[in-house]
Parts: sequence; structure tokens; C-alpha cells
Amino acid sequence: MIWSIAWKNIWRSKVRSLVVIIAVTIGIFGAVMLIGIMQGWINQRVSDALNNEVSHIQIHHPEFLLNEEMKFTIPGYQTLIDSIENTTGIVAFSPRVKIFALAQTDWASSGLVLKGIDPESEKQVSKIHENLIEGGYFDDESVLPSMVIGSKAAENLKLLNYEVTTDKLQKPEISELGEETLKKLQSLEGTRYRSEKDFRIALISVLSPHNYKESGDMLVRYFSFYRLRAKVTVTAQKITGELVYLTFRVKGIYKTNNTAFDGLTAFVRSDVLKSETGLGADDYHEIAILTESKNLGVTLAKDLGEKFSQYEIMSWKELSPDLALYSDYMKVFDLMYVGIFLLALSFGIINTMLMAVLERVKELGMLMAIGMNKVKVFVMIMLESVFLTLTGAVVGMIVSGLVLSYFSRVGINLGMWAEGLEAIGYSAIIYPYISFDVYIGVILLVILTGILSSLWPARKALKLNPAEALRTE
Amino acid sequence: MSVIDIKNVVKIYNDSEVKVHAVNGISLTIDEGEFTAIVGPSGSGKTTLLNMLGGLDHPTAGEIYVGGTNIGTLKGSKLIDFRLHNIGFVFQSYNLIPVLTAKENVEFIMQMQKVPSKIREARTRELLTQVGLGDRLDSRPAKLSGGQQQRVAVARALASKPKYILADEPTANLDSKSTENLLDIMEKLNREEKITFIFSTHDARVMKKARRVITVEDGKVIRDERKTN
Ligand SMILES: Nc1ncnc2c1ncn2[C@@H]1O[C@H](COP(=O)(O)OP(=O)(O)OP(=O)(O)O)[C@@H](O)[C@H]1O
Ligand SMILES: [Mg+2]
Repeated sequence: MIWSIAWKNIWRSKVRSLVVIIAVTIGIFGAVMLIGIMQGWINQRVSDALNNEVSHIQIHHPEFLLNEEMKFTIPGYQTLIDSIENTTGIVAFSPRVKIFALAQTDWASSGLVLKGIDPESEKQVSKIHENLIEGGYFDDESVLPSMVIGSKAAENLKLLNYEVTTDKLQKPEISELGEETLKKLQSLEGTRYRSEKDFRIALISVLSPHNYKESGDMLVRYFSFYRLRAKVTVTAQKITGELVYLTFRVKGIYKTNNTAFDGLTAFVRSDVLKSETGLGADDYHEIAILTESKNLGVTLAKDLGEKFSQYEIMSWKELSPDLALYSDYMKVFDLMYVGIFLLALSFGIINTMLMAVLERVKELGMLMAIGMNKVKVFVMIMLESVFLTLTGAVVGMIVSGLVLSYFSRVGINLGMWAEGLEAIGYSAIIYPYISFDVYIGVILLVILTGILSSLWPARKALKLNPAEALRTE
Repeated sequence: MSVIDIKNVVKIYNDSEVKVHAVNGISLTIDEGEFTAIVGPSGSGKTTLLNMLGGLDHPTAGEIYVGGTNIGTLKGSKLIDFRLHNIGFVFQSYNLIPVLTAKENVEFIMQMQKVPSKIREARTRELLTQVGLGDRLDSRPAKLSGGQQQRVAVARALASKPKYILADEPTANLDSKSTENLLDIMEKLNREEKITFIFSTHDARVMKKARRVITVEDGKVIRDERKTN
């Protein structure tokens, strides 16, 4: 009966109660969305990093990470591999040769990390082959060996060019620009621009300022193209110290969410690198390992490290401590936001419940007079507060659950900040995610706040003296 | 047999600068089955006396015995439980829980007494019929007239099977017809069920219905008349 009285009491001032309920709903929605977006973001960054850059475990010669010299290859490769293959929990591994080299095209040069891989093994461990935006993977080999290069590195080497062609001008995609604009663009035909800046200058010179402002960015993207099959010459050092010049053909361009990685990393076949630099067939600098889960990776790295103390065996957490750190920071951030929200909520509830108590002084006095004991009065007031918050919590849970699950499928596009985000390794499309325990945790904290904030108003009710309360003035 | 023994009760309020002797040495015995009115001018101490009889206020001096218990010594939850099981209350207003129906209001007190639900329901129906509201079981207080609300309060007070029912000016907010109606019902219940009623009033017509009229002035009993009929 007390439950039902408490529930009915809430609806005595509908507007006031609705305000509290809506506030709780909005607060929960905000908290869940914010946490979800942050968490989704971090998860994406972590999984991108694991997929494209660090994988779960890496094995090196103990000095390689310090000096990164050619000679620090992994000793006893075959024995190690046999053991890894027999370790349960390991899904795949990819041995790599890693060389720091200077790359050159006819138009520019740039430093590169060349990763010599076996294309098939690498496919099992990293997702570079899924991130190709142009060209292919190492499928058909021609006379010159293939290179798969990051989009930013390609840009640095001026392999991202811009050219207005008759072909592209005739496509329906840009017909909406109008006859006049197209005619102006036509005047740029026949010139190839090797940097975005040059092309933009050319665009400005032919287009009206208004037109440029409207569609400049779109045109830059539209007329850009990667020079696939271009030659890239790499200057590297042989194991003996002499310089060696290797020429590759750009076979594919990949793009991850991390511009820094894309600007520095190119993949080639390891056998080519090894034979040209004088490394042996079993000489590798790095073994990247994919395990069943990222947490398993951490434990397996520890196990393997104890078993093979002669190598440096590190999990992703040690390889990229920033990734683990982000997750921790995020928790602090979540707590802060939730804390502020709960504080605001508790003021709202205290205020509402105090009003509810004060305007019912006589009624509460009557209830105590006829024999309702303090525990029951206390519970009744508390239940009212809990019902208020609980109603808001349930609505908030449903709304935020639905919205979150929708966006976790389609993603939230932060396109306008894409460049800045990708520069620091974050995707511009966020798939919000909230783990079940955090979700439940937020709800429980809200309910707990409801209970705690009702303590003071409920105590006020208990202090009522029924005789005084009932005295008609 | 006496239900209440009041011995030299004094109540002094001294929360203001001057001490107020609201009740100034009253000794009375209330017997089972009485239908007693406490009358007197405003400020004479009627409410103060009833509150002490109801265990809502403690005497400054003197004792009040209810069935051998000195209720002045009861405190906290013991006192509340004592009220729940021994005393019925009808107040001038704010008697009912507005969110509950007439039936639920009457049931509520028995629920607090942990009366089994079957008995509860039957008794509620019976009591509300007795006060003439058998057809308004499911009405909320706001839908009832002042007189009907007071009758629900009387039914509620009876529901807990108290030793006596205290009513502080139960008719103060009622028109004359409702007043008469309420008094008739109380009297009938008193006669038929031997329920002890003690009520205060200013109203001469209410006084006339009482079989004992205790007049107080300045916190003292100045007259105590019993009508024999
Ligand atoms: N809580 C209190 N604090 C101080 N004085 C009080 C208090 N309650 C009652 N009094 C005083 O005690 C005296 C008796 O008051 P009481 O309410 O008992 O009179 P009453 O006979 O019920 O009057 P009325 O007919 O107006 O209801 C009055 O002088 C009143 O001012
Ligand atoms: Mg009074």
C-alpha cells in the first residue's frame, strides 16, 4: 500500500514531477551518449591501432627497438615460429623485415618505414589490405616489385596529382555546377598539378570567389588522383653498410584513420628486401602476432616473454602505452561528467521533495497521529523520490539505448573535423559504444542519488510533531 | 468500567515569553461507552486536553491512564503503535489521504495493523455502509462532500477497533444538515457498538446530543454534567 500511495503521490503535482522525470531522462541520455561516443571513439582508435599498426603482440631482437639497425634480426627464427604456431590462442602471425629508408619519386623525396612482408601472412594479422583506397594488394607482380603505400606518404612523394580532364568534366557528378563554371574549368585542361596548393591557386584564378568558396573543396577532391604504377626509388643500407637502390612500382594506396602512420609506412615483399639488402631467408626484425582477443594478447605476451627471455616480447599495451592510457583517462572523464550530472540531479530532487513534504505537513501529521510509524513515513517519502528518478531512468535508458544502438550501426559523422582528428589517429566516423556494466552503473548511480537526495526531505517529515502539524491556525 | 483515568493533568506551554497554562490541573474519569462533549470558549484548552488523551502531546505534570498504561511515559514508536491500536482519531480537516479512495482510506489503517486482507475488506464495506457511504467506496476524498469525508474519517477511526475515539471539533467545517447527520451516525455507533466517543465542540446543537458535557475554562473543568435518558 505504501508503494502505491507513494506512486500516486508523485502525480499530485504532475508538472513538477514531469520536470524532474524529464531532467533525469535528459541527464541519463546525455551521460550515456557522451560516454558512448567517447568510448566508441577510444575503441575505434584502439582497434584501428591494433588492426593496422601494432597488432596484439610483437617480438623483436632485444636491441632492435632501441637502435632499429638492420643487423638486429630475430635469432633462432624457426624454433620460435614452431613454438608460436603451437600456442593456443594465437590466431595468426606475420614476420616482417623493417627498414628505414629514403624514398624518391621524380618529383619529391621522403623518409619511409619499409615493412617487408609476406602478403598472405600479413593479411591474417593486419587490415591494410582492407584499407586500400586505390589500386590493389600484391596480387599480380610485374617486372618491378610492388609497393603498397600510405595515402599521406603518396601525397608527400607528390603521387597525389590534380588534373582537369575532358572525361571528368563530362560526368554527371559536376554537371550541376553549370555551363559557365564548367567552361572556366575547361581552361585548366591539360595541366597536371602536383600539389593541392598549386591546384587551388589555379582554381582561384579561373573561378569567381563565390564559386570557389562554394565548390572549391569538392573540386579539389574530384579532380585528384593517385599516380598508381609510378616508380618509387628507395635508398637503403645493405647489411654490409653499402647503400643500395631499390625501385618499386606503386601498386596500391591505403588509408587508415591515422595520418601519421599513413605518412610513414609502405609495404613491400620481404623476399625482395632481404635479397637486395643481404639478409638471410630467416632474417626478420619483427613478428607481429594476432591473438583471439586483445586481453588474451596481454597474457600471452607475458607467458611467451617468460618462456623466451632472449627476445623482447611485448603486448600492445607496452608497445602503445598511450592506447591503454586513453581508456583510463576516459574513465576519469566519464566519472566527472556523471558526477556533475548527479550533483545537479540531487539538487533538483531535494528541492522537489522538500516542497512535497512542506506542502503536506498536515497530511503527514495526520498519518503519524493515526499510527503510521516513522519507518513507514520515511520509506514513503523515499519511495516517492526513487519512483521519480526511476521513471526518468527507465525512460532515459530506453531512449538512450535506442538512439545509441542506432548510431552504433550507422555511426556519427564528424566530417567537418575529419582532418584534425585523423592527424591524431582518430576516425571521423564514430560508432558509439557503451559497455553493459557502465550502462547499468549509470542507472544505479542515478537511483542511488534519488535515494540519497530524499534523505534530507524525509528527515524533515520525520521531525514533524503531529499535534503541531494538525493544529488548525 | 473506566477507559481513561486523568489525574491532575497540567500542560504548560513556555515556548513564548509567557508561560501558558493550557491545561491547569484536570482530573476526570471516562467510562466505557460514553458519548462525551468537551466544550468551552476558544483557548480554554480543549484541543490541548484531547491531544494529551490521544497521546499526541505529553502532560507537563499528572498522569493519563488508558487501560492501566500511563501513556505519558510512552515514547517514539511505542507511542505511535499505542495510538494505532487503541485510539481512533477524527480531526477537523485533513483526515484522509487524498490519493486513496474512501475504501482504501479505511483499509489503510487496518493494513498498518496487519489485519488479514479478507477481514479487512469485509469490515471496510460494513463500516462504510454503516456511515451511509456504501455506494461511494471507490470515490476519492476530493469527490466527496465535507460531511461525507468526515463520515469516512469516522469509519476509518472505527476500523482499528480502538478503545475510544477522539474528535476535535469534527463538525466545525460542516453545514447544519451534515453536522446533524454526522452526529446521528456517531450516536448510533455509540449506542449499537458501545464505542466511546469524546469530542470537542463549540456548537450548541452538538452539545445537546452528548450524554455528558464537560465544560472547561482557562484549563480547568468548571462543570461536568451527565444527562440521564
Ligand atoms: N503549541 C503551543 N504553544 C504555545 N501555546 C499553545 C500551543 N498550543 C496551544 N497553546 C495555547 O494553549 C491555550 C489552549 O489552547 P487550545 O488550542 O487547547 O484551546 P482550544 O480550547 O482548543 O481553543 P479553540 O476552541 O480555539 O480550538 C491557548 O491559549 C493557546 O494559545
Ligand atoms: Mg481547539
